Amino acid sequence: MNMMVGLEVHQQLATERKMYCDCPTNYQDVPPNTNVCPICTGMPGSKPLSPNEKAVDAAIELALMLGCKVVVDKPTYIQRKHYDYPDLPSGYQRTSLPIAVDGELQGVRIREVHLEEDPGQYDPTIGSVDFNRSGVPLVEIVTEPDMRSPEDARRFLRQLIRVLEFTGKVRPEAGGAMRTDVNISLEGGARVEVKNINSVKGAYKALKFEITRQKAKLGRGEAVVRETRAYLESQMITTSMRLKEMEEDYRYIPDPDIFPLVIDDAKVQNIREQMVEPPHLREQRLVEQYGIQQAAANVIVSERKFADLFEEVAKEVDPKLAAMWFRTKLKKVLNYMKLSAADIEFTPKQLITLLQMIQHHKVTPEQGELVLRELVKKPADPKELVQRLGLERIEWEDLELAVKEAIRRNQKAVKDYLAGRKEALNFIAGKVMELTGGRADPREILKLLRAELLKKS
Amino acid sequence: MTKAKLDQLRSGELSPVENVRRALERISKLNPKINAFIEVNNDVVAQAEALERKLKRGKRAGKLAGLAIGIKSNINVNGLRATCASRTLEDYVAAYDAEVVKRVLAEDGIIIGVNNMDEFACGSSGETSAFGVTDNPAAPGRIPGGSSSGGGAAIAAGMCDLCLGTDTGGSIRNPASHCGVVGVKPTYGLVPRQGLIDLGMSLDQIGPIASDVYGAALLLEVIAGKNQNECVMLDVPKVSYADKLDGADIKGMKIGVSPQFSEITDSAVMDVIDKSIETLGDLGAEIVDVELPHIEEAMPAYYLIVSVEFFSATRKFDGRKYGKRIEDVCGDEVLRRILRGRYISQKEYRGKYYQRALQVRTIIRRELMAALEKVDVIVGPTVPKLPHKLGTKLTPMEMYAYDYLTIPANLAGICGGVVKAGKVNGIPVGLQVQGMVLGEEQVLRVMRAFEAVS
Repeated sequence: MNMMVGLEVHQQLATERKMYCDCPTNYQDVPPNTNVCPICTGMPGSKPLSPNEKAVDAAIELALMLGCKVVVDKPTYIQRKHYDYPDLPSGYQRTSLPIAVDGELQGVRIREVHLEEDPGQYDPTIGSVDFNRSGVPLVEIVTEPDMRSPEDARRFLRQLIRVLEFTGKVRPEAGGAMRTDVNISLEGGARVEVKNINSVKGAYKALKFEITRQKAKLGRGEAVVRETRAYLESQMITTSMRLKEMEEDYRYIPDPDIFPLVIDDAKVQNIREQMVEPPHLREQRLVEQYGIQQAAANVIVSERKFADLFEEVAKEVDPKLAAMWFRTKLKKVLNYMKLSAADIEFTPKQLITLLQMIQHHKVTPEQGELVLRELVKKPADPKELVQRLGLERIEWEDLELAVKEAIRRNQKAVKDYLAGRKEALNFIAGKVMELTGGRADPREILKLLRAELLKKS
Repeated sequence: MTKAKLDQLRSGELSPVENVRRALERISKLNPKINAFIEVNNDVVAQAEALERKLKRGKRAGKLAGLAIGIKSNINVNGLRATCASRTLEDYVAAYDAEVVKRVLAEDGIIIGVNNMDEFACGSSGETSAFGVTDNPAAPGRIPGGSSSGGGAAIAAGMCDLCLGTDTGGSIRNPASHCGVVGVKPTYGLVPRQGLIDLGMSLDQIGPIASDVYGAALLLEVIAGKNQNECVMLDVPKVSYADKLDGADIKGMKIGVSPQFSEITDSAVMDVIDKSIETLGDLGAEIVDVELPHIEEAMPAYYLIVSVEFFSATRKFDGRKYGKRIEDVCGDEVLRRILRGRYISQKEYRGKYYQRALQVRTIIRRELMAALEKVDVIVGPTVPKLPHKLGTKLTPMEMYAYDYLTIPANLAGICGGVVKAGKVNGIPVGLQVQGMVLGEEQVLRVMRAFEAVS
């Protein structure tokens, strides 16, 4: 079935101050209505300060990362969008005209990026409003309807989050700092907008639900009408909010209390020069520059800190080996311990030392992994860790002795092996591992065993 | 007069406490009839005493030390009610000081109370206040003009020394003219609006009302200049006006007069104005004709723009935070503007009304700017007709017609001042002097020169 999906993504920016006043933005960390002033509570007579420049700069950077053209050297008006809701202290929300247009990410065209301010938080159950969040800066990113399935939308959103988080200028998605409206239209039906979605999973589920609902309607010969629906996270369904005829008229006017933004080209160039490399471009570069596999590069750029660490390490260690270790072992250990790359405490030098030891066969990969776990838990010089864990590589003569000893003690297995039961070899190898306390490379054990047993056959 | 009063205060002939007591007495005697004050500051004597102690300790006296100052009820004064003369905000006690109030207090002005006004500054007569009409002390039984009705009347009745009013389409100049006092509408962006409750944000300016040009100039210099905590302001540092007024000389100044003024204005009013213009000529100014062909279009454009901005500004009075929803309790004129703004800001009518009005605004601005390229100031009448008797029923359009001559300055963002020109049948008529953007100094100079000989 043909379908078109477009997204409007609202993402909080990680500025210290609000958009139009000097109140702090850590609204979740403080008691209700403490990060407030006459401006962000819209008290009679209050006037906004000039737009927070850090927020404007961050929005420009995000827009550039998404390949947008920034609107330069002409006025971009901050508009008042009027609607009536308890969380909106002045009865309007300030929202800018596009500060950038015409971008692209993963084949999805970005229509525009603009700045907004968050409203307060209304609790309908007790009828109270907390204005701590009121005035926290947001960017809204609007895509063209270029996605064709819920899976497409999910993939795009994940990629988008990674791009946004790479800048370090946004609040983490996990804290509810990202909200999405999805637009979906199926062939033969009108466009339906679903609001109130707080996660990637929510967007996916809402789209899934809408497809089922709209298909069923079309199947019954009913019309899918143009409407706005709300996503109910607890039930993973959507319900109708209003039909098109009831659409609110926001009566936009340019806010007379704020000069329009005029972004000059020099500022954009400056931000462009200093901005971080977007992950999708960095992934390509890593593949080309280090000759590593696409899949590895993809994992490496999952977090900016992770990619930074990789590039540091790849200067001193064979990049292909490093890439393999980043993609499988290091990522696995971090995931297991529920850590992100930002939580890593060991130094790049320590990781380099460890990987060099592996590269030069000073420790086996298996031993290396044990050391890595220790390194993540409690950083120390890998050489010390190897000693502490008793992982120093066994001397060749000792290994030969151990192999002989294992053969002597396990004659039945030897007989089985010589009779053609190949798996018996693994049993004997395990015994060698026991004897050597895991300090030998399993591949060398097998090699030595085969050679020794060959003599007996 | 302000200058004489300040001399008395500075010499110690008059103490701040005594000055404040006299003002309080006069208010308690006259206010029941005139209704120029909504609320008197109960703390005012204590504040005057504190000022005296401070001065005794040898601290520097501020520019306004000991003067009793009334503040229009749409300007926030911490601890006093900021009602906008509306039921919506009748119990609303301001929780912070407007920037202009901070500046007045920093110069040791004493805030004597809160002045009556037209509800939310929507009116030109002082009759739309929820706290009752204000009488005109200079022409008893007639309107004092508006919307800064209380300020104009308070000064005319000598109830206080200076007042802060606000002017969106003439709301300082109109009552100054009707009450025979001095008022200045500053250049848009010269005076901070932080703490001023909005009527039309792109037009509103706070300005002084005084018994003389010196007082207006002094209060203006105290409140004018860039406020870092505000976006839409001109980048003007501190300015001084009052010390430039002594021996104000207008010899050789070019003063513009527009033939369009007399087309709109009653002949009795125009006669007084024509005489004033002659006086200016006698003082050595060169009188030059300037064309303002679209001046009449300013009024309809203004009422569209102000209504849209006012609609937006009043959305916060939704009945959740300030007691009563504005539409449920406001007077007819406020409701008319809200509904008009609501109607014409709809998506489908934007192009038809609001955008057109903004285009007219641009035309008016260009026209005035072009005229002010040729002359230093433009002088003429302030209000086209005399104030009506209290209780007379006027249609909205008749009421709006009071504003024909004051609105253009607001649309163009230029400055304008009013000084008493004379009288018609005992009713004051004010001479309006309009100057270019940041032309306050020239405007005040012409006003002072005229005042000195009248």
